[in-house]
Amino acid sequence: MTTTSPAPAAAQDGQARRPARRAARRSGTAVTRPGFAWAVPATLFFALFAILPLVLVAVLSFTDWDGLDAPAFAGLDNWRALLHDHTMIQSLWLSVLITVLGVAVQTPLSILLGVWAAGKQRNRAVLSAVFFVPLLLSATAVSVLWRAMLDPNFGVPAQARWLFGNGNLLGMQSGAIGVLVFVGAWQYTPFHTLIYQGATRAIPEVLYQAAALDGAGTVRQFFHITLPQLRNTMVTSMILMVVGGLTTFDTVLILTQGGPGTDTTISAYYMYQQAFKNFDYGGGSAIALVLVLVATVISLVVVRVSGYDKMRSSSEGL
Amino acid sequence: MKKRAWLPRATAGGVVLALGLSLAACGGSSSGSGSGRIHVLVYGDATNKVEKQIVATFNKTSKVKAVLDTIPGADYQQKLQGIISTKQAPDIFYNWGAGSIQPFVKAGLLMPLDSFIAKDPGLKSNFLPSVFNTAVVDGKPYGIPMRGTQPVLLFNNKKVLQDAGISEPTTWDDLLADVKKLKAEGKTPIALGGGDQWPTQMWFEYVYDRIAGPGLFEKALTGDKSAWDSPDSRKALSMLKQLVDAGAFGNNYDSVKFTDGGSPALLATGKAAFELMGSWEYSTEQDANADFTKSDLGYGSFPSMAGGKGNAADVVGNTNNYYSVLKKTKYPDAVMQFLKLQYSDEFVKAHLAIGNLPTTTNTPKFLDTASNPAYLKYQFNLVKQAPSFQLSWDQAYPPSQTTAIHTAVQEFFDGKINADGFIKAMQGLSAS
Amino acid sequence: MRRYPNFLAGLGSLVWLFLVGLPLYVMLTATLRSRTDYSTNGPLSFPKHFTLHNYTQDFSNGFGRYFLNTLVVSAAVVAIVLLLVPPLSYAIVRGRGRVTTGVFRLFLLGLAVPAQAVIVPMFYVINRAGLYDNLAGVILPTAAFCLPVSALVLTGVMREITPDLYEAMAMDGAPPWRVFFQLVVPLSKGGLSTIVVFSALQAWNGFLFPLVLTQSDSSKVITLGLYDFQTEHGVDIPGLLAAVVLSMLPILIVYLFARRALVQGLMGVGGK
Repeated sequence: MTTTSPAPAAAQDGQARRPARRAARRSGTAVTRPGFAWAVPATLFFALFAILPLVLVAVLSFTDWDGLDAPAFAGLDNWRALLHDHTMIQSLWLSVLITVLGVAVQTPLSILLGVWAAGKQRNRAVLSAVFFVPLLLSATAVSVLWRAMLDPNFGVPAQARWLFGNGNLLGMQSGAIGVLVFVGAWQYTPFHTLIYQGATRAIPEVLYQAAALDGAGTVRQFFHITLPQLRNTMVTSMILMVVGGLTTFDTVLILTQGGPGTDTTISAYYMYQQAFKNFDYGGGSAIALVLVLVATVISLVVVRVSGYDKMRSSSEGL
Repeated sequence: MKKRAWLPRATAGGVVLALGLSLAACGGSSSGSGSGRIHVLVYGDATNKVEKQIVATFNKTSKVKAVLDTIPGADYQQKLQGIISTKQAPDIFYNWGAGSIQPFVKAGLLMPLDSFIAKDPGLKSNFLPSVFNTAVVDGKPYGIPMRGTQPVLLFNNKKVLQDAGISEPTTWDDLLADVKKLKAEGKTPIALGGGDQWPTQMWFEYVYDRIAGPGLFEKALTGDKSAWDSPDSRKALSMLKQLVDAGAFGNNYDSVKFTDGGSPALLATGKAAFELMGSWEYSTEQDANADFTKSDLGYGSFPSMAGGKGNAADVVGNTNNYYSVLKKTKYPDAVMQFLKLQYSDEFVKAHLAIGNLPTTTNTPKFLDTASNPAYLKYQFNLVKQAPSFQLSWDQAYPPSQTTAIHTAVQEFFDGKINADGFIKAMQGLSAS
Repeated sequence: MRRYPNFLAGLGSLVWLFLVGLPLYVMLTATLRSRTDYSTNGPLSFPKHFTLHNYTQDFSNGFGRYFLNTLVVSAAVVAIVLLLVPPLSYAIVRGRGRVTTGVFRLFLLGLAVPAQAVIVPMFYVINRAGLYDNLAGVILPTAAFCLPVSALVLTGVMREITPDLYEAMAMDGAPPWRVFFQLVVPLSKGGLSTIVVFSALQAWNGFLFPLVLTQSDSSKVITLGLYDFQTEHGVDIPGLLAAVVLSMLPILIVYLFARRALVQGLMGVGGK
């Protein structure tokens, strides 16, 4: 607190604020500060279209609703059903599997590419421009593109039998999961590459100079300087991959529709299916709530690890 | 600095533009169901041409105007259920009868049509009874047939059959023998869009009918779960298994779809010899491969099965599509006048012209005017003479059960579940 | 000259070049050839004759309309975000007291809420509000879900403004709105361009909200158009891929001419 003006100008409305401002003008040293009113429109809007639905989803998860009659209170029915629903349990497991595979594929790839692209050589800049093209496509477009590419009879597999065999990629579980992980990596690796590229460029030059003096080669420099310096970036990037992986939806809807059978029915898709295809909005809401809980836990971890919440306290001591 | 200055200006311009546009957009489309209008909601596809024509005819004489709305794509049922209980609900809507409207009837949203029929008996008597009855729920009529009947037929590529020296199979054993021969020649004997799941279901519908007769499914539909566990049911499953294991469908059928044109293309390009599909296969092929359709597309009924209880003349498929009416419509008289157009001569001619086969009693009069009379006559006689016309399983059950049925048939073909698993899955369905 | 491991990464980059280049090659050549050419000669062959038929056909199939709808949605979302977020971030950075801290926490928490999780009640709310199958029904939730990231990005940028600048303005007795327009907004241009691009991309590429909240052709956006095209005529691969190219065209143009703003917008949270 630097001012003498009544600091509990935590006053929440403009009215109470006015005397403070007048005081500031007189003394000439006080800093005028925006009132809470400045945050009201955004907060209201957000509350209406994000928080209210979130509360509603919790309420709906305790109801039986087919979209025709009004929702009827159903107690813990949906939750009890969920506990015994092997598709649900399998869907959580599949979500985790696809997420972990995604992280395992994308992390090494994007670190390598990011470090490589951080170099200033001209050819790298040109190639990087090509590398990032998948980022320009929506998830829908990416899925549609790969569905067309992988058509067993009229796509690439028909011309490359030595690689794809009979091309039944989407007709068996391992193939379908592989396609989902691959397409996810194809789409998101450029994004993570960008993150690593930026972080690599931020590594102080002197570290490399010192290592070079000690006679460390490129490979040792990579493992002893670059990788350790990228640790925080890796955390951020992986968390983004995890959140993205758990909420994969477009790709599943377009490429596999959860199939064959229920082999790629991950939680986000299962929620959609229960609610909008089987018209069990209550059950769908319960799954959605599980998704929120998982995502919240992860995001709390993000906040902890990355120090987003501390940012405020550290820079607010003005 | 100079270079950056474009941004705020561009942004400001963008904001103004956006607000203007979005206001205009909102204003444009928020016109509710204004006075003097009935909204007719149909599945969006090529047949809309006819529906537009009928609406235009109606609007020529009626004071209350009809507005045709369409929902394209595969999500029709889903979108319909989303709006049917809101104020955006249509007055009249397209459906598949039976299970597809049962939840709406239960929720008290639909108008029973017996009062209309009392005023104009033609609303019932002008349609083939087996077709009309599909939209009868709890003893009351709720739908008027409004498109063509769509029996499932076994299509073939005549040229492939000729090259392999085989003819259309009339018995199950013929079919198995053909499969063997075609496989030896490196063909996929039967094209199957397994990725869509419902084409797989058609095989179940026919084999169950041929082995057990229509009774088994009827019994199951009333909630009698023992039907699925009967010896007939197990026999049907073992026959299906035999066909799959013989390699009849190749080994990548679950990566192929009908809806995106994949399996019809297999048939048309001669990579496959047969495809079991609804009668719409003809117009699909006509659109995509006109030359093939003209010269080499063959069709026939599903083979008979020795020792089965079902009549070899039975058919399965979609009996027709129906118009149902919402109870809360403000203009029941106009709605009734609109429904009466669905058996008019104009209606029949318009459908025949695009290859659909209406199920009105006056249809035979006009069959010769169609572009492909032989195909339509074949179907009309097939449907007329069929002792039983089994509605597709996924439409006989309420829509909420569709995913479960589709998953079960796909997993059985994949070998992911065995007969016990399939029986258990079908017993888990709820019929109401 | 900085040194980076060259061999492994170089190899990796070549593999990646192939993985990115091949689909792009297939996509571009497919859109410029006839359907029969594509299905008889296969995706990897080079087209014999070039044609723009696939593109013109897409336009006659309604893609022009979808394009316009998407443009409206994107512009409106950007407008809402630009109207709401700068004052919010200003209040968070410069405001005092627990309420603003609480607000910031709320938005941080909002980062964790995936759109899928609220789609059922969103459907309910939009339906009750009579906005079903209306572009406004897509715009509002899409904008709401852009707010957390935008607030985070812009708040970070505004924190960089040094306190003495505020004090200088305070000396002149400037009220908050003048501080906001004369100091905060001009100094946050970088952040503003980031949130503009970010929210425009979110809206342009959005799929779930339009999928669930609209139904008719007249309110269809381009991602949904792609989805429907694929479910109905997926075997018309050249036509389908031409639609994919069309859908990315505006972003490609931005990428070519304003790469930095685009990349920063893409990074959103990640870049911070």
